[in-house]
This record gives sequence, structure tokens and C-alpha cells, in this order.
Amino acid sequence: MMNEASEIYNYQMKIDDLRESLSCDFVAVAIAKSASEGSEITWQYASGNLNNRYKRIILRSGKGIAGIVFKTGKPMIINDVKSDMMNEDLFNYPIVVSEKLCALIAVPLFQYARVTGVLLVGYRQPTLISETFASNLKSLLHNEFGAFDIKGL
Amino acid sequence: MPISSQMIMTLMDSLYRNNIEPIFFFDAKGAIIDMNPAAENILDPSELASMQRNEEHSPFCITCRGYTSDNELMSCINCFMSHTQAEFSSFQVYLNTKDKGVIPFSASFQTIDKETGTRVLMLRDLTSQLVTQESMYRNTMMKNTIKAQEDERKRISRELHDSVAQELLSSLVELRVLKYLNVSEDVLQKLEQTEGSLTRLLDQIRNMSVELRPSSLDDLGLEAAFRSHFKWIEKNYGVIVKFTPKLNGTRYNNEIETVFYRICQESLLNAIKYADVDEVEVTLFETEEYLEMIVEDKGEGFNLSLRDPKGTGLGLYGMRERAELVNGNLSITSQIGSGTKIHLQIPTNVARYDKN
Repeated sequence: MMNEASEIYNYQMKIDDLRESLSCDFVAVAIAKSASEGSEITWQYASGNLNNRYKRIILRSGKGIAGIVFKTGKPMIINDVKSDMMNEDLFNYPIVVSEKLCALIAVPLFQYARVTGVLLVGYRQPTLISETFASNLKSLLHNEFGAFDIKGL
Repeated sequence: MPISSQMIMTLMDSLYRNNIEPIFFFDAKGAIIDMNPAAENILDPSELASMQRNEEHSPFCITCRGYTSDNELMSCINCFMSHTQAEFSSFQVYLNTKDKGVIPFSASFQTIDKETGTRVLMLRDLTSQLVTQESMYRNTMMKNTIKAQEDERKRISRELHDSVAQELLSSLVELRVLKYLNVSEDVLQKLEQTEGSLTRLLDQIRNMSVELRPSSLDDLGLEAAFRSHFKWIEKNYGVIVKFTPKLNGTRYNNEIETVFYRICQESLLNAIKYADVDEVEVTLFETEEYLEMIVEDKGEGFNLSLRDPKGTGLGLYGMRERAELVNGNLSITSQIGSGTKIHLQIPTNVARYDKN
């Protein structure tokens, strides 16, 4: 499906650049093994990570930030984890716990009109993330992101 | 050989003066004739003289807060001072003491000379007895509550697993069969979507069931239940649990195994939330007298005097209670910057699984 060697370089560098241009704390890319509903989703690339726990997290459609975006096909914005997710069990959002995120936006990444990945931008302070953030993201990435289609953002 | 009345008098005198239990002698009107040294903790003899001038009540009323009747904890109705029938041969009374404030006493009040109407009040400090009783009561209540909670969790977990999940699984199987019938492309797509949702639903139900009470704990034992739980932790938090079991497949009784499981569950959750570590070590082993478990991390540590009430509803306080209820000992050591260690020990003479 993807040429691993060239794409690895592409993604890691792209998200490191993105983190700098956005002045955010954390950027990560989750990829689903396949586009089907039951496939595993794992965080494959990260920039600004505090530890390597993200590598061991295993999600599915509907579970976790990536799982929810994968399932709904829509961006997800949390401006303040402490107040917006007060009543939730933390284990439902492993990346939020392991990377100590306070605010985030996660957008779906498409291939052939199906969600196969998720791009997460996170902050460790509560941050007001506007609805237009997703389209800003699109222009920052120059309308392309590796094998993924982001024209719909 | 019967001793002389002279000897009895000497002994009684000794008893009166050296008794740690207060004794008061009252006349027919309620004035205090005498009191032993122990009684001075209740009434100061120097104040006695001024008190006795008030004829209305017995000077004893100054220190007395009432006796425990059928209806009231501290009552003055039908006070023992005015009645010396049989019902006051043994009762509870609250008195104001010099050093401990108002405390309960076990009392007996009897007429020792019918002609003069002399009465004696003998008291025994009840506080330590009551504290023990209260403690026992609280322990029993807590034990019952925890058992009720675990029983209910077990019941719901079993039902979810045995009926709900089973039914869902059969529907899923039937759905899959549908796919092989002669259906159009769009029907096939819809079927696949539905199959996906139902599979996720089944997963959720299974997770809920395990979270409530893992059946592996009842069926396979502590080690197996731990292993499954640690795998779940790794998937959901990315934290590795290094597990070192040193048991030889021994099973322990259900109550004990549940305590270990719950305390481990809670300790791990705390480590994940606060320690900020990639790895936690869990060891499970037997010594000559105990079954022991250590949950240790080299993370941030915390201040032991501040308690976090969040978590699975247990918290540090609940963990200790559970351990104590099975005569176990829980020690928590933590240092900011160097990590946390939780050590649980439960005596094995009560822990062994009794197949009978």
C-alpha cells in the first residue's frame, strides 16, 4: 500500500514541522490496519511525546480519540480536558493520559473516501481551538499529507 | 476455714481504698456520705461540702448526665437516686470525669442498710469496652458492604457474559449467514456495517463484564486474572506490567483472592494516573506465614498525607480497610521523585482454599 521507507521520513518530518509552525505540544498520527470497521488502530508517529507509551496503545473503531474520529469520520475538538471530560473514565482516552493533554483537535485522514488514519494536534494547557483550525491545518500542510487525502478538512 | 470478721473488715477496707472502680455511699436523702479515692476522678471532695447544702438534688447530680433507660441514652426520668428497686442493680450511667469528660459507666446501685437508707453506687469505666464494640460493629458492616458489592458485581458480570453476550453472539452468527444468501450489493454492504456494529457491541459487553468482575478470578485464580488484567492495561494505557508470580498454582479462598485483585487494580490505576511511568512491577509470592504482593514503580511518587478520593471508588483508605478485614497488612511507601511501593501481606493460615 505505501512505500515504507520514503513515507516514514515524510510523516515524521511533516509532523515535527507542523508542531513547530503551530507552536503546540504534541502531534501524532494514528493509522488503522485496514479501512474495515473491526481493524486495529495504533499511533504510528508522534512529535513532542513525553514517553513511548503511545506505541503500545491499541485502539478500535469507537475507542479512544482515534477510534472515535475513525468511526464518525468527523473532527473532534476538546478545549479543556479537565472540564469537558470530567465524568469519563480515563482509560477510554489513553493518549490523553499518557501525553498529559489538556486540549486537542483530531481530524480524520481519508483514503478512497474511507477513514484510514487520524491526525492529532495536542496542547498541554487548556487552549481554545476554533472551528476553523481544521482548514488552517489543511493550508499548513499544503493540501497534502502523504498517502492521505485531506482535501475534505 | 472461715475467716474472722476482723479479717473481712481489713480486706474490705483495702478493697475500698485501692479499688480502681469508683464507689460512693449515699444516705437516704442522696447526700454523699463517703467516696473512695478512685471516685475523686468524678467528684472533687473539696467541692463536696458546698454542694451538699443544696437540698433539692443530690450533689451527685452535678456530675451525672443521666442513665440509659429503655427510651433515652441519658435520662433523668425515674432517676436511680430516688428509686432503689431491682432495676437499678445494673445499669449504664454517663458521668462527667476530670480527665476524659463525659463517659459511660456500668453501674450498680443498692441499698445496703434498710434502716438508715444507706445506699452504695459502684461504677466501672465502660469506654474501652464500648470502643471495641463499636469497632467490631463497624468492621462487620464494612465487611458486609464489601461482600454485597462483590456479590452483586459477580451476579451482573455473569449475566452479561452468560445471557446477554450469548444472545448477541447468536444474532451475529445469524447475520453472518445472511451474507451468503442471494443478496444485492447494497444489502451486503448494510449487512457488513451491521455486523461491525454488533461485533463492537459484543466487545463492549465483554469488557463491561470483565471490568465488573473477571470470571478468570473465580475460575482460574489470581495469577490468570492478573495476567489478563495486565494485558488490558498495556493495550489501554501503553504501560507495561512486569509480573513475577512465585506461587505454584495454589488457590486461595475467594475473599482473599478478591482483596489481592482489587488492591492490585487500584494500585495500578493510581500508578498510571499519577506516577507517569512506562513500567510497573508486580510480584506475588508466598512466605512461611503470608501470601504477599508488591506493586512498585519508579515514578513521581506522592505525598502520603494527601489522599486522593478518586479512582475505582476505593482509594488508599479503602485499600487498607479491605486488607484489614482479612487480617492483612497493607503498607504504602512513597517518595516524591523516587517512586511508590505498595506491599500487601495476608496470613495464609486463613487464606488457603478450602475445597470443603
